[in-house]
Amino acid sequence: MTSAEAANWYFKKAARIMDVGERIETLLATPLRTVSVQVSIELDNGEIRTFKGYRVQHDNARGPMKGGLRFHPDVNEDEVLGLASLMTWKTAVVNLPYGGAKGGIQCNPAELSVKELERLTRKFVDQIHDVIGPTRDIPGPDMNTNPQVMAWIMDQYSRYHGHSPAVVTGKPIDLYGSRGREVATARGLQFIAREILRDVGQQVQGTRFAIQGFGNVGSHAARLFHEDGGKIVAVSDVHGGVQNARGLDVPALFEHVKKNGTVRGFTGGTPCRNEDVLTADCDVLVPAAIGGVVDQRVAAEVRARIVLEGANGPCTPEADEIFEQRGVLVVPDILANAGGVTVSYFEWVQNMQHVTWEEERVTSELQRVMREAYEKVGQISRTRKLPLRTSAYVLAIGRVGKATVLRGI
Amino acid sequence: MSIPASLLKKLVQIPIFQGLTVPEAAEFFEVALEQVIEKGRTVFREGDEGDALYVILSGEALVTKKGVELAVLSTHAVLGEMCLVSPGDTRSATAVAKTELSMLKIPSRRVQKLIRGNNLATLKVVANLAQVMGQRLAAINDRLVAADSKKKPDARKEELADFAGILNRWSF
Repeated sequence: MTSAEAANWYFKKAARIMDVGERIETLLATPLRTVSVQVSIELDNGEIRTFKGYRVQHDNARGPMKGGLRFHPDVNEDEVLGLASLMTWKTAVVNLPYGGAKGGIQCNPAELSVKELERLTRKFVDQIHDVIGPTRDIPGPDMNTNPQVMAWIMDQYSRYHGHSPAVVTGKPIDLYGSRGREVATARGLQFIAREILRDVGQQVQGTRFAIQGFGNVGSHAARLFHEDGGKIVAVSDVHGGVQNARGLDVPALFEHVKKNGTVRGFTGGTPCRNEDVLTADCDVLVPAAIGGVVDQRVAAEVRARIVLEGANGPCTPEADEIFEQRGVLVVPDILANAGGVTVSYFEWVQNMQHVTWEEERVTSELQRVMREAYEKVGQISRTRKLPLRTSAYVLAIGRVGKATVLRGI
Repeated sequence: MSIPASLLKKLVQIPIFQGLTVPEAAEFFEVALEQVIEKGRTVFREGDEGDALYVILSGEALVTKKGVELAVLSTHAVLGEMCLVSPGDTRSATAVAKTELSMLKIPSRRVQKLIRGNNLATLKVVANLAQVMGQRLAAINDRLVAADSKKKPDARKEELADFAGILNRWSF
């Protein structure tokens, strides 16, 4: 099952518990618009190459649609649609005035030069500028797209529609980006970790964390948990992992990664495989790499009491069932990693108002949003006796549903 | 009254009298009375005791129920036939002469007596009546289905309202 199929599976599970009926289910699951384009560019060597590009706009009942743009060889329409719907539920869980969208270009960015990526990005904007915009659909960074790509999108869109920084988020700080955007997802995880640990009678101080993935989310999460007094007992990236039951020296680990580009070979612990991190002896497991890494086999061996989904869809629905039976608390992606889109929203708000917030304001507003969302999901979970994931979907369906009913179809 | 054979031959073509031989029809209609009702007069009212059945010989009758027009009946149509199978029941509709009406009236008491005496002609009439009622029931069912499908646009509205109800019960 792909992560897109898994998202739909969780949506259906919640919709059936709520008993919304087949036609309402279809209404909520079906995308508003799917744009498919052929993006042709001239490569540096003069060859012409054509790439497939997609933008799927899932739902706009709650506001302009929001979602990342990814560059990846595996991008396809189904996957983009599933991820677009995930954004609808995610923005609803954290109560942002947004709907959901997602886009992608089927390409291997490692094989393209910076100039070629720029041409590809600008050409894609040429083809979709009619359907995006600050009050329609606001792209943001995703797999293999960075602040520079966002800057090109802003520039190209502005050539058609006039100066429009709010058309895209995740921009560089020097070009209408927001302070705190880069650490936003990790900050969100930090706030959720504080809340859930308090709920189970613990605190971050002394809690043992295992983090799979040491990119934007995993590395910052390790640093923030460490700052709160947590012990990072295992980390890994695509090249390998390292573990230390007494806790890794996080600042030294960062120095190592800065020098070597990977956590592998860090001498402050014993080497381990990427998979070992998932089953490490710890209190909180944070899968923050890619989707589908925790399947039913892994789930049976997970030793953590709490799983924080830093990535989108790291646990398969089968694994989710096992966690439910075993009493392992899973904080779902649409809540746990919603810090990223929340600060994207703050960036958009600053752009729309032509103001700049200090990082403290971004952090405190983010904390408020994450706490409120966690509180609401927890409330549904306790009163309805449902797992956190189902509760989050119930909350999302409720919010999107209310907006849909009030606006009329 | 004695009814001319030419009229009896026409009467046995009416659905509820079909299958009667002319002598059988003569026997059945032996006690019939000819009645002429002026335009605008009432033949019977909804709620009256059903004491007779009528066959229209000429003219038109308007049948209504609670003020709603059900049918306009004309020559050789039968009125009040329900009293054959459920004697003593009240009239389920009102019949008014739309034009001057000439009708044959057969008292229900007389028909009940014939049934009790196993009169073949009367039993044939009752069997025909059962068939006619079956056809009417089928027609009513079709109209119910048609009326129900006309309501479809409303059903969607209710579905959205139902959804709103679900959302309220989950109280977000």
